[in-house]
Amino acid sequence: MRRLLMWMAVGVTLAALTPMVLANGWNMPEGVTAVSRDIYSLHMIIFWICVVIGVIVFGAMFYSLFRYRHSRGAKAATFHEHTSVEVIWTAIPLLILVAMAVPATATLKTMYDPSEADLDVMVTGQQWRWRYDYLGEDVAFTSNLSTSREQISGTSEKGENYLLEVDEPLVLPVGQKVRLLLTSDDVIHSWWVPELAVKQDAVPGFVNENWVRIDEPGIYRGQCAELCGRNHGFMPVVVEAVEPERFDEWMAQRKEAAQQEAMSADREWGLDELMARGEQTYGAVCAACHQPDGSGSPPAFPALAGNQTLLDEPDRHISTVIDGVAGSAMPAFRNTLSPVEIAAVITYERNAWGNEAGDTVQPSEIAERLAAQDE
Amino acid sequence: MWQAIKSVLAAFLGVQKDERRREDFRSERPGTFIAAGLIVGVIFVLLVAFVAVMAAR
Ligand code: HEC
Ligand SMILES: [Cu+2]
Repeated sequence: MRRLLMWMAVGVTLAALTPMVLANGWNMPEGVTAVSRDIYSLHMIIFWICVVIGVIVFGAMFYSLFRYRHSRGAKAATFHEHTSVEVIWTAIPLLILVAMAVPATATLKTMYDPSEADLDVMVTGQQWRWRYDYLGEDVAFTSNLSTSREQISGTSEKGENYLLEVDEPLVLPVGQKVRLLLTSDDVIHSWWVPELAVKQDAVPGFVNENWVRIDEPGIYRGQCAELCGRNHGFMPVVVEAVEPERFDEWMAQRKEAAQQEAMSADREWGLDELMARGEQTYGAVCAACHQPDGSGSPPAFPALAGNQTLLDEPDRHISTVIDGVAGSAMPAFRNTLSPVEIAAVITYERNAWGNEAGDTVQPSEIAERLAAQDE
Repeated sequence: MWQAIKSVLAAFLGVQKDERRREDFRSERPGTFIAAGLIVGVIFVLLVAFVAVMAAR
């Protein structure tokens, strides 16, 4: 009777703990795609199989330890082997493994089939941000961490989406199959969004494929999941899933903005507007290495504030930003920033933090250099 | 040879009677067991490959 009560207590505790664990976010999320739900149910089935096996095996073990203990006069058996028992306890796990492999393989097959996609998005990892390229649409942008520096350094309170928020999320239409082509410009990153059940390495020189079809509109957050250097924890992924009509509107807006940006490269820009624009770009892209105040972290990342040789050589300043420095961490920004952004950020660097070059770099100048390089 | 194949299959499963093991070790010709091991190994690989090809279709 006592024993029965004890086992009932154990059972009730376990049953009570399970929903708590599920509700607490300790379990993997069920997600918002058919694939993620498949993965979730596989995970739960296999989890429960493991629980049952664990209870039986450890139950038998503890029971034997307790029941046949030395102090109760138990004597060890001395037989050497029992072939049929051994065959049984080998065959049963074998069957269980095969039974688990069948649905798991079926799910893997769907996961690895990116064919017949409605939309292709190229995802490029960069130290330390993601770049999204809507292939065939001429729309591309980088997605930078937008958590404020004060929150990171602890001088202001941390927001709800601390380190999981970006300036521009990846916008995707719900209900459509979106193929993701993942690669990297520098080191290995990994694009991971738990709710979409996608975690795919972005490897320089390779293009990995994956796909999602999101069922519910919403905002889904994730992170880089491959240690990629100093700011690995500061390159989150944010996906905003919207209805297809909203997606089309958004796409049209982006295209128009891109066109305007291209057109504005032709006109003459004043120092103030270049400075304002440059400060934005600098904060989002360059400050991670060269620091917000331009002091860098020598010798790894050179200071730009008070860097007199740089101020004396505007030409080298421009070419460094356009082409990067081969063999160092300084990336080439030729393809990732627009001519306006490049011109603005260089102007900013030459006139901020006490630097007083006094000159501006015009977007048209950068556009010409880029065009000349392309030939 | 049939004996050797049966022993190799038992080894694949990981279960063998002690008696049979002793008998195998009395044999003077290890070559038979090596050949049996290679044959069963190749058949196993082909079998797994076949299952994989069928599953991928
Ligand atoms: C991933 C880190 C990283 C980022 C991001 C980065 N830089 Fe650099 N930068 C470097 C490193 C490292 C060097 C030194 C290269 C060398 O000469 O070996 C450098 C050098 C430079 C230089 C030349 C300095 C000199 O004295 O020669 C300029 C100018 C510069 N960066 C501008 C920028 C601008 C503008 C941005 C943003 C658009 C930027 N950097 C973003 C790492 C970075
Ligand atoms: Cu990364």
